[in-house]
Amino acid sequence: MSEIDTLRELRPVPPPAELEAMRMAARERFVARAAPKRAHRRWRRPLLVGGLSTAAAAAGAVAALVLASGPGTVPGQQATAGRSRTVVTAAWTVREDAGGAVRIYLREYANPAGLQQALRADGVNAIVRSIPYTLQRGFSNKPVVHPACNYVTINDRAPLAVQGAVLTVGRQALPALFIIHPDAMPPGSALFLAFMATPPRATGNIALKPVVLTDDTAPACVPVPAKVPAQSAPTPTVKKGGPVPSPLPKAA
Amino acid sequence: MSIDTRASDADLIVRSLTEPDLFTAVFDRHSAEILRYVYARLGSDLAEDVTAETFLAAFQCRGKYDGAWPDARPWLYGIATRQISRHRRAEERRLRLLRSAPADGPAEDHSDRAAERVTAQRLGPRLGAALGALPRQDRELLLLVAWAELSYAEAASALGTTTSAVKARLHRVRVRMRRELGDDDPVDKENNDE
Repeated sequence: MSEIDTLRELRPVPPPAELEAMRMAARERFVARAAPKRAHRRWRRPLLVGGLSTAAAAAGAVAALVLASGPGTVPGQQATAGRSRTVVTAAWTVREDAGGAVRIYLREYANPAGLQQALRADGVNAIVRSIPYTLQRGFSNKPVVHPACNYVTINDRAPLAVQGAVLTVGRQALPALFIIHPDAMPPGSALFLAFMATPPRATGNIALKPVVLTDDTAPACVPVPAKVPAQSAPTPTVKKGGPVPSPLPKAA
Repeated sequence: MSIDTRASDADLIVRSLTEPDLFTAVFDRHSAEILRYVYARLGSDLAEDVTAETFLAAFQCRGKYDGAWPDARPWLYGIATRQISRHRRAEERRLRLLRSAPADGPAEDHSDRAAERVTAQRLGPRLGAALGALPRQDRELLLLVAWAELSYAEAASALGTTTSAVKARLHRVRVRMRRELGDDDPVDKENNDE
């Protein structure tokens, strides 16, 4: 065994899900950094036609960059003749690859309405909700959030085999990667995802991993009893905040 | 914009001078491979960032691409190598990790490779130390051949030198590595002992 072979054996290899999450993030950075330079050039295009297009489309309150590129490739697979579509926001990226799989790369828990819209545009019957919360001040005056209610999906979930066929969940909590195969979703079913769209630096965020529901009715959000603030109020100067309205308007 | 999936990288890069969007196809073709290499060299903290910077630098200097190379990998690896060299401390940390532990990737469980794996893990600490002791240019060359799996000609293109210079340098590096490792291959030894 030569030293070259030994080196090859010792080469650190990232787990596939982590690799794909990093690749998507790198793609976004590349597009974001390459695109602004084009804005003042002669060949700037007014329409959203390509992978480096810069025009931003407003989706809800948050601008999203919609990229329609050529064949999207998945590591280990050859490019196909299909087309891919990518929606990029500051908080997340949704990308439909040429094979029909839809990838969500979630960097922040924000803009659930836009995420729902982007997923539906890619053929995923998605229900994305923000979890209402109350905001308190914790140690060092850092905001601490507590859920006002929890979405209970246990009785509405599709069988495990369906979950496995539809969903692949990356290992990291945030940034998170979810891969969805819409073709495997049974007719009438829906993908449900909920998270707290909290302010930056807030701790105590909760996100529910996506699940496939047997029908497309949003589950009820069951109120959570108010938490005693004693633990998060170490000094008399700590103030307890009131409930913060969910930024997501109630959707059908 | 239409992308011919059979178009060579050189075609795409040349056409991207007038249709910049086409460069995303170059990214989609090669980003996973470049990312894996950067990950191996610098770890997960910098892999994403350095990969994006590599393709951004490539995009910005695509006008200088040598169209004689239909495959853009050597060119991209050359740019990645320069980006990696900006992160010496991270690389030193990675080499220390190599010295102290075996590779952190998912182990393949093919029985016919088990012996090679064991050998590699036993040699790992010494190999990591030897790798760290190599001059930077020698280390770049060795890893482009071992981890990026570039041919001599491709490695020469990536490093902006000639194939004969690469052959000569790699020979010297391998001799030095073998000496550092004590010319010790446990598998061969065990086989010879039987």
